[in-house]
Amino acid sequence: MCSVHDTIEFEKRGIPATVIITQAFRNAAVFQFRGKGMEGHPYIELPHPISNLKPEEMREVTLRFVEQTVKQLTA
Amino acid sequence: MSDELGFIDPTAGGSKRRITLAPRPMDLAGKVVGLLDNTKEQGMLILETLGAALRERYGVARVIIRSKEHYSKPATSSLIDDMAKEVQVAIAAVGG
Amino acid sequence: MNAPVDEFEFFLNKQWSDGLPVVTPTEARVQWMLSATRRSPDELVGNIPPAMEPATVRTVAIHAVMAGCKPEYLPVVLGGIALMLREEFNMNGVQGTMHGVAPLMIVNGPHAQKIGLHGGNGCFGPSFRANATIGRTIRLMMLNLGGGIPGIASATIFATPLRYTACITENTERSPWETLACSRGYTVTDNVITCAMVESPRLCFDDVSQEPQRLLNGIADSMVAMGSWNMHAQSDMVVAMGPQHASICAKAGLNRAEVHARLCELAGRRVRDLKNGGNWRRERALGFPIKVDPDDDDFFIPAIKDPRDLQLIVAGGWGPCTAICHGWSGGSRAVHGTYET
Repeated sequence: MCSVHDTIEFEKRGIPATVIITQAFRNAAVFQFRGKGMEGHPYIELPHPISNLKPEEMREVTLRFVEQTVKQLTA
Repeated sequence: MSDELGFIDPTAGGSKRRITLAPRPMDLAGKVVGLLDNTKEQGMLILETLGAALRERYGVARVIIRSKEHYSKPATSSLIDDMAKEVQVAIAAVGG
Repeated sequence: MNAPVDEFEFFLNKQWSDGLPVVTPTEARVQWMLSATRRSPDELVGNIPPAMEPATVRTVAIHAVMAGCKPEYLPVVLGGIALMLREEFNMNGVQGTMHGVAPLMIVNGPHAQKIGLHGGNGCFGPSFRANATIGRTIRLMMLNLGGGIPGIASATIFATPLRYTACITENTERSPWETLACSRGYTVTDNVITCAMVESPRLCFDDVSQEPQRLLNGIADSMVAMGSWNMHAQSDMVVAMGPQHASICAKAGLNRAEVHARLCELAGRRVRDLKNGGNWRRERALGFPIKVDPDDDDFFIPAIKDPRDLQLIVAGGWGPCTAICHGWSGGSRAVHGTYET
């Protein structure tokens, strides 16, 4: 799953990064981080599914994860 | 291993190398945040929402949003390189 | 003293097992398999995504032994996996996708005949060692080296029975036309593999049509569905025309290219029929590499966006049936190339 790959590429360049995934891809993300040498790398997991959410609903769900995102990107 | 078992076990071991996490800044005030959209549905909206919230609530100076070619391919090295020159932290969306 | 290991249970318990027993890979068997290639066992063929574990010639041979291959099948496996690792094929994406597709190998040329690869009756099913084991080798590598395991890296909703094995050849004995490879400019003596990322075949029965127009109309109908990604993205498709159906077209004077073109023209749906179910989204239609008007209900959306996306072959036994395999949404383009024997 390529967003994980992209996240790792940022980390390799010294840029703290995280990835937004949905629940259905959690195992895949954990597996990929481990396989690429970043076992335990944090990620933001949104509840699945999101594809049917209306824009206001999607915004509302996203805003619930802002603080967690900041925690993952800062010391 | 082959001697004990009497046959070969080709089970892939998983990568033994460890890549260290990039050092994190104390906070995001004044920083430039890179947002990488993978073109999947809702990705852009999620990133725009996050970007706005980071500017409003955490003092982020600027937000850069870039899109990949297709969600099932990794971003090109040059795209990541370009973003890495301008940003101090990055968020990729959306896997799933 | 340790209890002897039950080798069958040992491999059946592996997370990467395909659920069926393997031939135990002993050093002797691997050396036997390697006798079929002049290449160095240490030569790296590629890394299988997403776990990116390396596949050397030796590693491929080990998996070929496990799958039950004969040594003369090894060149086909080596050729196939190398093609599948080409960037445009997007192996990385298909390993994780929710979709249920598999890399189908269509092998043309004299070596396929020599090793008994089957393209006649029953070619998509069991009974043929080359078909079964070559495709299985690829899958075992995708599972073990790539980590494309459901519940781990693979989010596939249903997968597909093609993930047990997916390797066929054409029914050249009964085909009225040149092979897929020859239609692309390869010679009859070239050994060629075409790989396309596709779903399991669906069957189009037609024991009524005696002329091509009606026959191809029915086959084209099987190439479209509201829930088929071919209607909502650029995607490959395999049409395996049964030799009986192919002969109806040939007797009417149609050559392979004409049948191919006709199917590309006929297969599609109008916007009004696509909106009512399945995966229709306006933005998807706007993302096609061809110009469409998603706001015009009468607009005809073709299933095949680029003629190169349709892999037309003649395969299967004698009978009034054609098999159609829909493609993937994930940005894969079919690949083809020669392989060394």
